[in-house]
Amino acid sequence: MTTHLEPEQVDATDAVADAHDDSPKTPSRFWPRIRRNKVAMAGLVFLVLISLVAIFAPFLTSHDAIYATRFQDILFSPGEEGYVLGTDHVGRDLLTRIMFGARYALIAGLEAVAVALIIGVPLGLTIGYFRGWVDRIVMRVVETVVSVPAVVMAMAIIAGLGPGLTNAMLAIGIVYSMIITRLARAEVFAAREELYVDGARAAGAGNNRIMWRHILPNVAPPLIVQTTLLFAQAVLAEAALSFLGLGATSNQASWGRMLRDAQNSIDRTIWPAIPPGLMVFFTIVAFNVLGDGLRDAFSREARGGKVGVGDVEAVSKKSSTKPIPERSLLSLRDLSIRFPRPGTHDDVSVVRDVDLDIGRGEVLALVGESGSGKSITALSLMGLVPDPGRSSAASIVLDGQELVNMDFDDLRSIRGKEIGIIFQEPSAALNPAYTVGRQVAEPLIVHLGMSKAEARRRVIELFREVGIPDPEKRIDAYPHQFSGGMAQRVMIAMALSCEPKLLIADEPTTALDVTVQGQMLDLIGDLARSRGVSVLLITHDLGVVADLADKVAVMYAGEIVEQGELAEVFNDPQHPYTEGLIAAIPRNESRTGSLPTIAGVVPPPWEWPSHCHFADRCAYVTDACRAASVEMRVSKHSLTRCVRADELDLAGVKRAGVVSIATDGGGS
Amino acid sequence: MLKLLATRLMAAIPMMFLVATLVFFLAQLNPVDPAATLLGDDASLEAIAAKRAAMGIDRPLIVQYGDWISSAVTGDLGQNWFNGEEITTELRDRIPVTLSMVFGALTIAIIVGNTLGISAALKAGRWPDRLITVVSSLGLAVPNFWISMVFSYYFGVKLGWLPAIWPTQRPDTLLEWLKPLVLPCTALGISSSAAIARQSRSSMIGVLQRDYIRTALAKGMPVRRVVFKHAIRNAAIPVVTLAGFQLSALIGGAIFIELVFNIPGLGNWGVDAILRANIPVILAFVMVAALTVVLVNILLDLSYAWLNPKVRPE
Ligand code: SF4
Repeated sequence: MTTHLEPEQVDATDAVADAHDDSPKTPSRFWPRIRRNKVAMAGLVFLVLISLVAIFAPFLTSHDAIYATRFQDILFSPGEEGYVLGTDHVGRDLLTRIMFGARYALIAGLEAVAVALIIGVPLGLTIGYFRGWVDRIVMRVVETVVSVPAVVMAMAIIAGLGPGLTNAMLAIGIVYSMIITRLARAEVFAAREELYVDGARAAGAGNNRIMWRHILPNVAPPLIVQTTLLFAQAVLAEAALSFLGLGATSNQASWGRMLRDAQNSIDRTIWPAIPPGLMVFFTIVAFNVLGDGLRDAFSREARGGKVGVGDVEAVSKKSSTKPIPERSLLSLRDLSIRFPRPGTHDDVSVVRDVDLDIGRGEVLALVGESGSGKSITALSLMGLVPDPGRSSAASIVLDGQELVNMDFDDLRSIRGKEIGIIFQEPSAALNPAYTVGRQVAEPLIVHLGMSKAEARRRVIELFREVGIPDPEKRIDAYPHQFSGGMAQRVMIAMALSCEPKLLIADEPTTALDVTVQGQMLDLIGDLARSRGVSVLLITHDLGVVADLADKVAVMYAGEIVEQGELAEVFNDPQHPYTEGLIAAIPRNESRTGSLPTIAGVVPPPWEWPSHCHFADRCAYVTDACRAASVEMRVSKHSLTRCVRADELDLAGVKRAGVVSIATDGGGS
Repeated sequence: MLKLLATRLMAAIPMMFLVATLVFFLAQLNPVDPAATLLGDDASLEAIAAKRAAMGIDRPLIVQYGDWISSAVTGDLGQNWFNGEEITTELRDRIPVTLSMVFGALTIAIIVGNTLGISAALKAGRWPDRLITVVSSLGLAVPNFWISMVFSYYFGVKLGWLPAIWPTQRPDTLLEWLKPLVLPCTALGISSSAAIARQSRSSMIGVLQRDYIRTALAKGMPVRRVVFKHAIRNAAIPVVTLAGFQLSALIGGAIFIELVFNIPGLGNWGVDAILRANIPVILAFVMVAALTVVLVNILLDLSYAWLNPKVRPE
């Protein structure tokens, strides 16, 4: 959508993806959204005013738009009585011409857009729906026409039709219809894959009915947006082609014609070009902001944040009450993470008062369902909470070093060097544009100051250690040439490249094929043990930690609910949520039977109560649970956040029927 | 890579053929009789008929079409009906003028657009982003021929800093060659800069939210390296697509700028040809525009292969 008459093309796939992404795509949400968009509304108001001026132009002025009403001796000077904007080079009142010009602009725009829609919509729907050879031929022509600059193509069509405003706008309409055709076709392609078409067909609807009743309403949003943007282009096209002399003639007071006349007297003054130029400009702005507003109302744009922020703010030190254990490598105290709640101005806590201790060479499993806040907790240790999230903690001590309030560059030298991390989706976590070798070498070069050749040698060694076959060749391959399992090995090599003290593994096997999950956990365990690296293993599946972890911390709805030695927690859980997770461990022998799971899901953070967060899903809930907030306290061997911990006798692995807890150890 | 280039060039041939055919028959619909226009108002009917025969436009259309196509493939585009010049000679003089303007504008647009877009993305949601967003949506709406008039008047006529119209003599020095290009290129580049700024902002914002950016940060890479190494290459892909699209737009836009600054390029030549039904010129004009766009799109495809290893031929 530039002023070269080359319209921006609304991306069909984008709009469709957005439309389907949000399941309750109700029109009722569209209106409040567009009305809240002040800029789009201002555009709309401007367009309404312009339309009113266009309609009532003859009543608003006493001058003539075509014939000179002043002699040339008062040429140009604005502000004279009766000639607010002055006159042009032959003595015609500029204001009058501007008002009549609005008529030409809007009528011309309507003509072009109408032609584009009348040709484009049925054509695009038809070829998109029936596909086949007709589609291929039509698309050939469309692509050809679109490959020629729009204004050149319009000029070629005008060459055939002859000059004149109507012909010019017809030509523009024909060119723009190609864009509409393409858009409508793409939308139909996407829409016809959708279930509702299948549903309609199964219900016995005919082709025509499906096309007009079922598909059109769904392709309408991008079409409406595109049409609004095309209207802006059409207004510009009128001005531009009239400026060239291919549109409005000398007795049509269009804005483009005014600019052409102004060009004739430009050696004397620019003034007559200013009002029509500004009118064209503001009209285009108005249509564009309205179009953008419509697009935003139909979909949601990704909102960006600042890169590299996420440093942890300090809160008042309460840590004195919670001493740091002696053998601790990492100790986290009172971590809280807040995010703005979508659609409101409020913040919600997604993580609250989390304490963690990881000893040297120790493996701590952080376990919880998705939505419990465990991944974001791990990210906060590295200062990687994505904007606009804010994290705060009383203290994060890594190997005697306080990370809270550390400045960005110091924290940066911790990341990758002292703490390595493996993410859930290895394929997405690797940059598609660079070879894996370069990506693994990067921390070696940046943190350890290795030369490229040294780094390369080291990467090949690392690849061998993590079990990537043929490392000398694979080092120069791109991420898309790796399977998920191999890509995760690359990530492990990257995370361990600088010999970190702590390895964070965030659901390292969840996205992988079941057959390689076990191998991957073994690999992480072996590498960690042989290097003496501490591991923070994050998972939703208590079963996978059995072989690997020394300690376990169970997280629910932003809080740690139980923390203790793995074997003790497994055999004698102190929190009902832990009991539920244990019951959900897949059994070794009969994996086919359905697992007992905890009913319901983790509620969204803004629904978390002030009392026990688990109360709504807990089988043991009593009134006491809902009386006040529940603090961590000692219960036998564990720390737990349950008021009934002492009185309850919860089922551990034995009673839950999990015969061997080594469920995923050897690759199942 | 060469194979990719060859297949793309081969695919361009039927496309150019289709353009030529489409435009040839379209141009025939023109109600203006070029023979009558050539001879003036008081020519007799016989004289006009004789002229038509001499120009060969009394022959059946299909014959004229075959004639034009067969000489076009040998590189002969015929003569300008109105001044008798060889079309190829005229093209040789005019193409460099228009293209230097178009590529000058594109260069400005790519530099300005990406600078603005990336700066905005890095401050997403904060005031620099808002400011750039507003400026670029206004920039998008500036009619290029109008801003050319304003530039030509203020910087050319009033301040006299730069030529208000195209110089008639050939330039001797590089500076003399560049000077008259400054205003047209700037005027032409404004809305493309704005368009590229918007695209570059939104694709940068999208890329910065990807997992591999988080990986790079987690590796302890400095922000500058994350943005200019890890993000930019991925964010560039849609920007390159848009730049190709903008080139097409700039070729169209150049026509208007040429009129304002009185530049002897393709645009003025083509507009004049349309008004007088000068069919050989119309054909050449459209073909050159289409060919430039097709060639640039092939270059873009090659650059994708560089930017995105996934589409690189093994
Ligand atoms: S406090 Fe009550 S509701 Fe919460 S886990 Fe314990 S028993 Fe269940």
